[in-house]
Amino acid sequence: MKGLVPLFIGLFGTFAFSWVGLTLIPNSQIGHLDPQSDEEGTDIYPMPRSGMVERGERIYIGNGCVYCHSQQLRPDYVASDIDRERDAAPSPRPKWGERRSAPRDYVFARPALLGKMRMGPDLANIGKAAPAEEESPAPAASPTAASPAPGGSSSPPAAKPAASASRSPAPANSPAATSTPSPSAGPAKPNPSPAAAAAPGAANASPPPAPESETKTGEPRPYSVAWHHRHLYSPRSINIDSNMPAYRFLYEKRLIDGERSADALQLTGSDAPPEGWEVIPTYDAQCLVAYLMSLDQSHPLKEVKSAGPAASPAASPAAGKTAK
Amino acid sequence: MNPAIDIPLKEPSISVAAGDADQIERALIDASTRVPVLMFYASAIVWLLIGTILAGFVSFKLHSPDWLSNVSFLTWGRLRPVHMNVMVYGWASMAGMGTAIWMMARLCRTTLRHPLLLVAGAWFWNIGVLLGLGGILAGDSTGYQWLEFPPYAAIVLFVAYSLIISWAVLMFRFRRGDQIYITQWYLLGAFLWFPWLYAAAQLMLFVIPVQGVLQAAVGWWYGNNLLFLWFGAIGLGTAYYMIPKVIGRPVYSYHLATIGFWTYALFSSWTGMQRLVDGPFPAWMITASIAATILTIIPVATVGLNHHMTMQGYFPVMRYSPTLRFTVFGAMSYTVFSALGVLISLRSVARYVNFTQASVAYSHMGLYAFFTMVIFGSMYYIVPRLVGREWRYATLIKLHFWASAYGIGLMTLMLLVGGYVQGESMDNASLPFIESTQSVLPYLRGRTLSALLLTASHFIFAFHFGLMLFGLGRTASVPTFLNPIESEASEAHL
Repeated sequence: MKGLVPLFIGLFGTFAFSWVGLTLIPNSQIGHLDPQSDEEGTDIYPMPRSGMVERGERIYIGNGCVYCHSQQLRPDYVASDIDRERDAAPSPRPKWGERRSAPRDYVFARPALLGKMRMGPDLANIGKAAPAEEESPAPAASPTAASPAPGGSSSPPAAKPAASASRSPAPANSPAATSTPSPSAGPAKPNPSPAAAAAPGAANASPPPAPESETKTGEPRPYSVAWHHRHLYSPRSINIDSNMPAYRFLYEKRLIDGERSADALQLTGSDAPPEGWEVIPTYDAQCLVAYLMSLDQSHPLKEVKSAGPAASPAASPAAGKTAK
Repeated sequence: MNPAIDIPLKEPSISVAAGDADQIERALIDASTRVPVLMFYASAIVWLLIGTILAGFVSFKLHSPDWLSNVSFLTWGRLRPVHMNVMVYGWASMAGMGTAIWMMARLCRTTLRHPLLLVAGAWFWNIGVLLGLGGILAGDSTGYQWLEFPPYAAIVLFVAYSLIISWAVLMFRFRRGDQIYITQWYLLGAFLWFPWLYAAAQLMLFVIPVQGVLQAAVGWWYGNNLLFLWFGAIGLGTAYYMIPKVIGRPVYSYHLATIGFWTYALFSSWTGMQRLVDGPFPAWMITASIAATILTIIPVATVGLNHHMTMQGYFPVMRYSPTLRFTVFGAMSYTVFSALGVLISLRSVARYVNFTQASVAYSHMGLYAFFTMVIFGSMYYIVPRLVGREWRYATLIKLHFWASAYGIGLMTLMLLVGGYVQGESMDNASLPFIESTQSVLPYLRGRTLSALLLTASHFIFAFHFGLMLFGLGRTASVPTFLNPIESEASEAHL
């Protein structure tokens, strides 16, 4: 090749083409989305993050949670993300989500922690999985984060138990299914290892050998604030097979000064602190859990079809609509 | 095995009728690049050792999460980005720049002016990487893969890079000969694209951040282009230099090389979004990247064919030349890497392998099996010419090669199979989620085994390099500067 000029024009041109095509044009297409609201300008979704939630996001990033947890749900015609139920929960088990994720869900996300790996479950709706009575305190603690779900959104949750029951042959939403592996899971795959054979831990939230009645009362409800703290402090006390690292450096062990703190972790077995001591979350841990509780994409979006009993043919046009 | 002294490349800038004058010229060029290139190499190898140890930690902790988990800066989520960034910016970038500087000086047939500029650049680069690592360990990561360095470290890296790029301008200013050899296209491309890419990503993510999901798009656009346009371009340029050089015959087809280069620049720069397949994006972005990934078959086939035809009849030389053995391994891995890239980008496959360990296998295939192996090859060629000694132990080179080759082979195999198994369980919604992570654990343990192999390989290489650096190499009977054939002659004993 002769001459620098054509070479440089070529080098410049090819890369400029890619830069414009893959970043600038998409930016003009979906780079200026507004939050959605109804006619009266109320029921705005999503809302900007603030305060503890924002700080919790920094903790989430700083400790690399994103390398194992995604925050995006793929549409139901390419993956089974939406059909999936969370492992640890009473009946009915919360699902990963009701609909696929859309660009508008991330309008205020900075950065958008979509994730590329699932060594742990998806967290796009982990705040939604919280027990019902905790859902109302959560918006109070971080008023901007969780969205109230009035009117329009009440129909998909109502349709959910019916949908999951009709789809899976197992009585997944009956209380009995939570203490034993669901009948459909057992024969579907022969368990390759003894560890996996012990998988009731996946469905059962209380494996420690403590007396049944005591743990039942001391056990936090799955996906509640207390549950998250305990899970972060000692993941394998919740699920023996978990390979999440413990984040004990976010917690503080201290002598009980007078009365036991209200937010002290309920720990049993080898995790429990010695007599007279307690484990309490640091401010960072509280922020992290506030952030987790704020993750909720359950609010319906006009451009995305929420999964209910909807069939897949209806879902494919939704993909095209997501583009705008 | 005795290549002629005058290597009959088509480029007059390489050698037409090499005489004593040419050899003296080369010796002078090598002498002028000695300090900066060795500086880049030595830093790179130190980073390689650090990154390798970290890799072992990361791999082990993934299946044994309680190990060393109680200290904040040793938590898995911080060690992993540190490992990736050490390898990407510490090892691969520095080693690649060292090789690029040397090849550029040789191809421009000009001595390196102001080598201290490059030395200063290397220092700044090291400081930038160190700052960035400190930032990540302190919990200050930005959260974008391969861009985790906090902005203050990114600025230092950029200053360092400006110092380093200035040599290219200077060298071109003083180059001799009209022809620009294939390697120079790739190197010029890499050195033009990288700052643009890096600046664009920094700008769109941190200075004037784009909205929402576009940040993830810019992040992956950066990550994939870094892999292709920075590492890929340097790696291919090096292969185009080393293969003809060692076997002493010109590149098979100049036309194929031209086609290969421009299709590479055009198509590979459009990849990236396929990593976000089925995510919350306009479908056309992802489809465009999948199409571009499939189209990279064209440059891969042309480059592969070109290398293959150049090597035709000379494959036995790999038995003797460590440079050739590493380089050809890398060039072949490039083909496999690209084929794998096409495969996992297809939507029907991505359904299973997206969100699994398979993407880790893909990155390692590009950065290690292809790029790092090519760079190892170039180091085996270049270092003796810089220090004036020959590699001392042929056994160590062989150990290095086989430990690396088996290590990376085992690793990609484990991660690919494990990733598929993981993805299959994940796709089956009737299984509990934990089943998918449980099913991949045995493969992750196998991967830790491969980390041991790679650790051994890198320490062997570092030891050997240290011997060379401290003048403990084998003294050749003929001074290496005046006789570039010397190293090949000694390799005949391998």
